[in-house]
Amino acid sequence: MKTIDRRQFLRQSVAAAAIAATPGAAYTQMAGGSGAFDDYRALVCVFLHGGNDSFNMLVPRSTAEYNAYATSRQNLAIPRDDLLPINPLSQPGTPGNEPFGLHPTMGGLQALFQSGQVAFVSNVGPLIEPTSLDQYRNKSVLLPPQLFSHNDQQDQWASLKGRSTSKTGWAGRMADLIRAEVPNQQMAINASLHGSNLFQSAEQTFPYVMGAGGPQEFQWLGWWLQDQQIRHRAAFEAIVDARYDSIYERGFAEIQRRAIDAAATVTAAMATPEAQAVTTPFPRTELGTQLNTVARIIAARNYLQMQRQVFFVGMGGFDTHDDQETVQPRLLMDINDALAAFHAATVEVGVASSVTTFTQSDFGRTLTSNGDGTDHAWAGNQLVLGGAVNGRDIYGSYPVLEIGSAEDVGGGRMIPSTSADQFAATLAKWFGVADSDLEIVAPSLTNFAQRDLGFMIA
Amino acid sequence: MNRRIALFATLALGLTACGGGGAGSSPVVVPPPPPPPVTKAEAFQFLNQASFGATEAEADRVMSMGIDAWIDEQMRLPMSLQMPHMRTLPKQPFSMFQLQKDRVDIFFRNALHGSDVLRQRVAFALSEIMVTSDKGALVDFPYSLADYYDVLTRHAFGNYRDLIEEVTLHPAMGVYLSMLGNEKPDPANNIRPDENYARELMQLFSIGLVELNLDGTARLDAQNQPIPTYDQSVIEGFAHVFTGWTYAGVGDFHAQWPPEASQYTPMQLWSQYHDNGTKTLLHGVVLPAGQTGAQDLDAALDNIFQHANVGPFISRALIQRLVTSNPSPDYVSRVATVFNDNGSGVKGDLGAVVKAILTDAEARPAVVSDTDGKIKEPLLRILQLWRAYDARSDGGRYPIDYLWVFFGQGPLQAPHVFNFFAPTFSPPGEFRSRGLVAPELEIATEYLNSFSSNFMLWQIFYWTWNAERPSDNNDITDDTILIDYAEEMAIAGDVDALIDRVDGKLLGGTMSGMLRQQISTMVSQMPADQPQLRAAEVIYLVVTSPEFVYQR
Repeated sequence: MKTIDRRQFLRQSVAAAAIAATPGAAYTQMAGGSGAFDDYRALVCVFLHGGNDSFNMLVPRSTAEYNAYATSRQNLAIPRDDLLPINPLSQPGTPGNEPFGLHPTMGGLQALFQSGQVAFVSNVGPLIEPTSLDQYRNKSVLLPPQLFSHNDQQDQWASLKGRSTSKTGWAGRMADLIRAEVPNQQMAINASLHGSNLFQSAEQTFPYVMGAGGPQEFQWLGWWLQDQQIRHRAAFEAIVDARYDSIYERGFAEIQRRAIDAAATVTAAMATPEAQAVTTPFPRTELGTQLNTVARIIAARNYLQMQRQVFFVGMGGFDTHDDQETVQPRLLMDINDALAAFHAATVEVGVASSVTTFTQSDFGRTLTSNGDGTDHAWAGNQLVLGGAVNGRDIYGSYPVLEIGSAEDVGGGRMIPSTSADQFAATLAKWFGVADSDLEIVAPSLTNFAQRDLGFMIA
Repeated sequence: MNRRIALFATLALGLTACGGGGAGSSPVVVPPPPPPPVTKAEAFQFLNQASFGATEAEADRVMSMGIDAWIDEQMRLPMSLQMPHMRTLPKQPFSMFQLQKDRVDIFFRNALHGSDVLRQRVAFALSEIMVTSDKGALVDFPYSLADYYDVLTRHAFGNYRDLIEEVTLHPAMGVYLSMLGNEKPDPANNIRPDENYARELMQLFSIGLVELNLDGTARLDAQNQPIPTYDQSVIEGFAHVFTGWTYAGVGDFHAQWPPEASQYTPMQLWSQYHDNGTKTLLHGVVLPAGQTGAQDLDAALDNIFQHANVGPFISRALIQRLVTSNPSPDYVSRVATVFNDNGSGVKGDLGAVVKAILTDAEARPAVVSDTDGKIKEPLLRILQLWRAYDARSDGGRYPIDYLWVFFGQGPLQAPHVFNFFAPTFSPPGEFRSRGLVAPELEIATEYLNSFSSNFMLWQIFYWTWNAERPSDNNDITDDTILIDYAEEMAIAGDVDALIDRVDGKLLGGTMSGMLRQQISTMVSQMPADQPQLRAAEVIYLVVTSPEFVYQR
């Protein structure tokens, strides 16, 4: 009965005024079976802060489509010959005439695409219901509020809240849904290596926030003060655990308590032989360091008794209003190098098919330029990586990159043709959320015909 | 506070009665009522709102002068600025990295030793609303950031309309939000004006995303939905207004490496790069074609300043930075009323706004509810400790540009224009279920909490004038800030006296019975011949305690 209550509670908490009530099928078993999963699965969200200009990450190469792209992007276009060709299974083209290409810095991901470990989801973004240009202009459909604003659109991707006032993220809701199925896990389902985030925020479970290199343990005086160390720590913890009148004191004390407990557990996990044995070299970048830590925590999954976890990592700098030609290659190279290393590490650890990595970003960017950069737009392309990915394909529909087209709300701001809810639901289903619970994770899914985009192996 | 209000009422009644009794006889000159007496606890509470951390010395001044007179005095004090110091620095070797450290150094010197403590606190609050940061392109522009901070400092009690104009034309903001070098459309090449500054100016620095009532709550339409303050066409209108500006005194509109003076001189207009068309602004106002860039800019900033949101938006933001995370709508309304008219018909008087915030009954409520106050910003926690314990380094310099690693905060070091934390951040659990926010808890992650607690440990146990300092201790350099608790060490044999002293310096004498009991039990078990360790333990347990972290 607890499960029913929890799900009903979750439904209420994400109920958006605009969204039809979720059909009543109350109790559903997790896909993992009766009360417990029999395997390990992890999702790794790579958040690209600032709005990745992903129409320069995945670029059409066919003559007409490339020419439309080049005409729109002008000085920001990547020369056709510099693109790294890829041939998706569903539209392979011919040698020399591959229909798509990746940014010249993304050779590692090109190889992983060609070998079937990478897929792209194209022209995806926050939507409440399918939206055409006319409907956008006439306001005859519900639109996510504050389009083109950084924090609001980051929040849309993280929460999928549409026009509701929900304060939880979709990974947070997944954690609330499955927490009863993973009672022995020694670490929170949601772990962030990139700060507090809405994506993992939940009603009933707390995400754990560590640093790029892992937890920072509390220090309890030096070893030479052993007697005092014990007294010192006891007093510190007693103060943390005391009752407080102010909500602010209580809020701070709760974080201190979680910090003390989790840091010790995760630090120990990272010191296990399994974690220490990971030898895959990682780039010493912000993202590379975070993913290196994730790989080592995953390697210690048995020590931690983990069956399901979601990691949040990220990097900034994608808000390329200025100097995009100089800045973007470095950003995309960082993604390429870190993700390629991470995939190699999951192969080394033997969990490539149990770990799925995906990108999210505030929004795509304008096809038009502001001289040397781009501005905030809407739809973009996202990347999915892992052994469980139906790779070597592009899902959704890649738009014609033409200013003033039927998909452009102005200035080369593409309307998403696939919703972030569909993207999330496809990942959630693989993670183990039952089909009938997918609207809890992705509330607007009910407004779209295709519940599963197909990029994950069932 | 009950007592204070009661006393005030008695005084007022007494004066009335006196005036009545004197009628018909010789006229009585009624003296102004004396300022209500301020307790030490109140003085600490007030100074934690109005400075970089209460000290007993400043609390004594507040108690003797009264809060109103103290504020008035503060507003007249000379300003602690950064550029006068920056100008004295040797030019060679010309290292931006070193100069950023120098910028941080002068911030902390002013914070620790400046007497204009209220102005500095308000400038810091403004730096968290109109954000620029050395995290990003401005890493190469230390002079620009120092001068930008001085703009905030100079205008802390000035007029918001003047402030927003200096902010808009400042090259630091120009670089940070890419208005600098923004040019008119070039349709043949699909180039249109940069929208970055236009968007953030409205969203973050002035009016916000949705129409507000005077009390800061959202206005709702017939469908109970918030009403957006602007749409994309207005963003584009402002983006066109903000065309044609680049560094002052350069020979190329697209100059990349400006001379030093251009870093702190307001941006200059190049009319050939300014868009001459009409521009649609807020409230359907359309600027006529053919205006100069300066005319457009002036009119556009007036357009924003006239928006009814500015008062409640800025008032609420400042209340949240200074006093409480969850002000009542009435509190916001009272302050916004002062923003809209300072009593002399002037809108945007920030000095009047600050005074209204700090003297409001809700800033020191008679009956404290569990949602009054806020989490003390991490940077303010360490500053309060330093100020209370006479912190200084051997070399007299504090170029500590790495504090953000431990505390998630530093002067002009936010990760992005959305500041270190969002004003709407609501942690899961009790805050969220009660519809409350705690912005500062966004950076009180498990990770940063352990880092900041550990920093406090090092600061108090090791980085002190009072510990033995072996000559091979490489942790301590000429720049390490060391605190001084010799006074505590001298009384460390008397546990109660020791705790009282620390309570007095850090909590204004408000330590809870629980905290006292825990500390007392622990220290009583310690050998009496370890005065430094005893004193350090008491200070450490206080500054890491929830009741110190809470700004009541």
